[in-house]
Amino acid sequence: MIKNYIKTAWRNIAANKLFATLNIAGLAIGICVCITLFACASYELSFDRMYKNSNNVYRVNAQTSGEFNYKVWAQLPGAAGPAFIRDIPAIKQVARVLKHDFGAVASLKTENKNLNEKGLYLADSAIFKIFDFTFTEGNVHTAFAHPKSVVISESAKRRLYGNETAFGKIVYIDNKDTLHVSGVYKDLPANSTIDFDMIRNIMDSWAGKDAYWGNSSYETYCLVQPGANVGRVQKQATALINKYIPKKENRFITSFIFQPLTDIHLYSADIRAGYSARIGSIGTVKALLFLSFLVLAIACVNYMNLATARSQKRAKGVGVNKVLGADRRHLLAQFYIETAVLSLIAIVIGYIGCFVLQPFFQNITGIQLNVSELSSRPILLSLLLTWIVITLIAGSYPAFAMSRISPLVLMNKLKLKHSAADFIRKSLVVFQFASSIVLIISVIVILQQINFIRNKDLGYNPKGIVSVSIKSAQNKQQVSDFINDLTGMAGVESATPSQSIPGDIESGKSIKKLLTDKEGYPVRTCNTNGTIVKTMQLKLLAGTAIPETIAAGDTNCYLLVNESVVKYLGYKTPQDAIGRYVMSEMMPRSIIKGVVKDFNYQSLKSEVGGYIYYIMNKPHESLNTLLIRYNTRDLAGFMQEVQNKFKANLPNSSFDYEFLDTHIQNLYESEKHTASTATVFSMLAIFVACLGLFGLAASIAERRTKEIGIRKVLGASVPGIARLLTSDFLKLVIISILIASPIAWYMMNKWLTAFSYRINVNAWAFIAAGVMAIVFALLTVSSHAIKAAMANPVKSLRSE
Amino acid sequence: MIKITDLEKYYRTEEVETIALNKLSMQVNTGEFVAIMGPSGCGKSTLLNILGMLDDPDGGSYVFNGVEVAHFNERKRADLRKHNIGFVFQSFNLIAELTVFENVELPLIYTGVPSSERVKRVEEVLDKMQIMHRRNHYPQQLSGGQQQRVAIARAVVNKPKLILADEPTGNLDSSNGNEVMELLTDLNEQGTTIIMVTHSEHDARYSHRIIRLLDGQTVVENIMI
Repeated sequence: MIKNYIKTAWRNIAANKLFATLNIAGLAIGICVCITLFACASYELSFDRMYKNSNNVYRVNAQTSGEFNYKVWAQLPGAAGPAFIRDIPAIKQVARVLKHDFGAVASLKTENKNLNEKGLYLADSAIFKIFDFTFTEGNVHTAFAHPKSVVISESAKRRLYGNETAFGKIVYIDNKDTLHVSGVYKDLPANSTIDFDMIRNIMDSWAGKDAYWGNSSYETYCLVQPGANVGRVQKQATALINKYIPKKENRFITSFIFQPLTDIHLYSADIRAGYSARIGSIGTVKALLFLSFLVLAIACVNYMNLATARSQKRAKGVGVNKVLGADRRHLLAQFYIETAVLSLIAIVIGYIGCFVLQPFFQNITGIQLNVSELSSRPILLSLLLTWIVITLIAGSYPAFAMSRISPLVLMNKLKLKHSAADFIRKSLVVFQFASSIVLIISVIVILQQINFIRNKDLGYNPKGIVSVSIKSAQNKQQVSDFINDLTGMAGVESATPSQSIPGDIESGKSIKKLLTDKEGYPVRTCNTNGTIVKTMQLKLLAGTAIPETIAAGDTNCYLLVNESVVKYLGYKTPQDAIGRYVMSEMMPRSIIKGVVKDFNYQSLKSEVGGYIYYIMNKPHESLNTLLIRYNTRDLAGFMQEVQNKFKANLPNSSFDYEFLDTHIQNLYESEKHTASTATVFSMLAIFVACLGLFGLAASIAERRTKEIGIRKVLGASVPGIARLLTSDFLKLVIISILIASPIAWYMMNKWLTAFSYRINVNAWAFIAAGVMAIVFALLTVSSHAIKAAMANPVKSLRSE
Repeated sequence: MIKITDLEKYYRTEEVETIALNKLSMQVNTGEFVAIMGPSGCGKSTLLNILGMLDDPDGGSYVFNGVEVAHFNERKRADLRKHNIGFVFQSFNLIAELTVFENVELPLIYTGVPSSERVKRVEEVLDKMQIMHRRNHYPQQLSGGQQQRVAIARAVVNKPKLILADEPTGNLDSSNGNEVMELLTDLNEQGTTIIMVTHSEHDARYSHRIIRLLDGQTVVENIMI
């Protein structure tokens, strides 16, 4: 019986190649997209779940006070971790994690290599008990048994020592510390939020030993006893703030928040100062899942549409079968099996497509996906499930609609009633087009927003600046020699040593109006000198730049502030602020030398806050980078020369540079991926929807052959008939536009709220999307319409 | 075998009501070969549909083999139909995607005949219809006469008690038409009751009795000698 069904199904599919191809293509695309997006989403959801303790590990975050805008920070004071383990019995292990030099790149040296390392961390040895490390050299229990030890990942080992054994070897860090390798561990999985490449013992450094409650720079991981009440633990931890921080001191942390390890990856977008770059967003995951279901739904609708569009042709077959004794069950089974066979073919093609297109999708979505991820058991199971669901959903409408057909159609007694089926079919087309139009509008708005950001005046000019790391310089002389060397070089317009490039590793501090002010105003501060105005091309509104150099005995701190600071201080014009003294954390009395226009030092998702460039003797912050403004036609040659001069002046440091405009672009990486993901998938959705429309148009033209014949005999023209056939579809597309527009408007306004600097959703995105949908629909439908209109009426009239 | 009394059937649209069968009564005995004739629109096909239990009457009684079936629901009718009635159509109505063998096999599948038995019975009937050599061909590869032979084979494979034929020669030339009529006569001689709708006086002469319809009513019955 089943064999017979399958045989019949197969012959039906083979007998209607156009429909089968359209169906399979639509479903295969839908499935390919769906699997890929689903795999991406499930990969994102898999983060940190492979650790044995993952359900009991928490990162402790700090809720800050108004001074820090009530933001949640992922970093705690160094004294917090030790206090937790001392005072809270439910906490079994605590590991503080501190990035080398508060986040700067480390300059490493071995016997025969210089290189830069971004993933060097300092941590308590409990880190090995909280997370699972597999050691391939050395022993996890004795990793930090000796002072000045460092354990490294296998890939760090390959970078440093190639294929040699690393255990016991020496590595010099920033030309200051000498460490020996006490262990090598297998690389942490790509879906681990912690991404340490090298770990040294925090207790070897003042950072671990002299723990106090002031500096908040330590990510703190706790292993909590299984079954412990985390809410209570959290309260106990918060109580320690009162216990350990004296009332008269500034308590900038108001409570501690225990964030489950498995939440860190997806729920940390609003948490400041986490170390890991592997931060995703639950919004993206939801969007991916939504998109995948939408595309699949469109593909299913396609199938239903195409299948029922053929009902006229298949009605006879149904009638014959019924006359021969088939009851509804038989016919239901027949139609379901046909859908099952067809969707199985589509699933196989779609699944193969996933592998073939995997690099392409990775490029679009920005999510690294292992091929093995695609053949994992959950994916295979969900494929099976998808097959069943598609068969049941997409197959049910044709099955139920067509098995109901009366055998009387055979006797020409009963014309198929079209009204109900037509209405459903039209609704399905409207659904497909409305979904596609929502996607098109979204893409247009996203692209407009990204374009807006890209071309927005940042308040400085990031083009033509290269930032060269000078943090591993052995002394100040090396840096000033290097700068002197550069100043004479062709193509260099100016060179400024600076603590940070905009938005990178400035210090978070606060300033106060003299005396009267208690709360203060949070600002970012950056140690530099007066040439910064020229190098960054900042717009000076009043006063002068801060000095380029500072005399040895000068005890002043000179400030170059932005407009926001002036506004906070209450001066009416920038000019009023010049020469005034403010209380800064650098120096109790700091003098404002100049005011620059507000500039966007962060991504345009955030608003501009207070920013201060300063120069003083014996600053707390070192100069980490040299910003060079260049003007050259031969950038490669220019950079080679800069490197040569760097090597000549800083022989023991590695040359590490970054172009500022690239750095700025990278801030919008996730938005770019959102845009490309939306673009590609909406195009696919539209394509699939057009496949459906194509099939529908073909069948309607076929069904109306006789009507067209009669009209022609009565004198209708070819264009007139083509118009008649297309106008029906256009109506549907216009209804889709009307439905889609408010939905898209709502969705996009919501998306745009993430940006402080945003465009308004304007009518033209809607007009463009509408026109696009109409054009696609016309292109799809018109060929059938024209063909039907041009057919010889004698033939069509005889066909009955 | 069949007794209908005061059978009524209307077709309604929003504005017009057409009476297809107007209190029609007739009887067909087991083993008879009856032809139904009449002009277009006289209700022949409607009558055949009701006799074949494809459609239900709006009034009157229809007794099939002693059972009143006029009020049967579709499922019951379908069940009765598949075990008792075979259909032959003017336009053959073979399924294009199935081979000759598979077309004939179909009714056996629906009545749940086991596979080995099916092969035997299909081969038997194909043999009888002299179409065995075409068993693996598709309908569109056959001539009209051959197609109708397949259709008849399909109608009789389940050994129905009644065959309803709707202008079985309408799409055939005269020699093929005669062949089909001979086949039906043979079947009738072996005991199958046949009711045939036809326009052709020539074909009608093969039957025992002609029922002439006009406006949904019996006007004349001719007994053939």
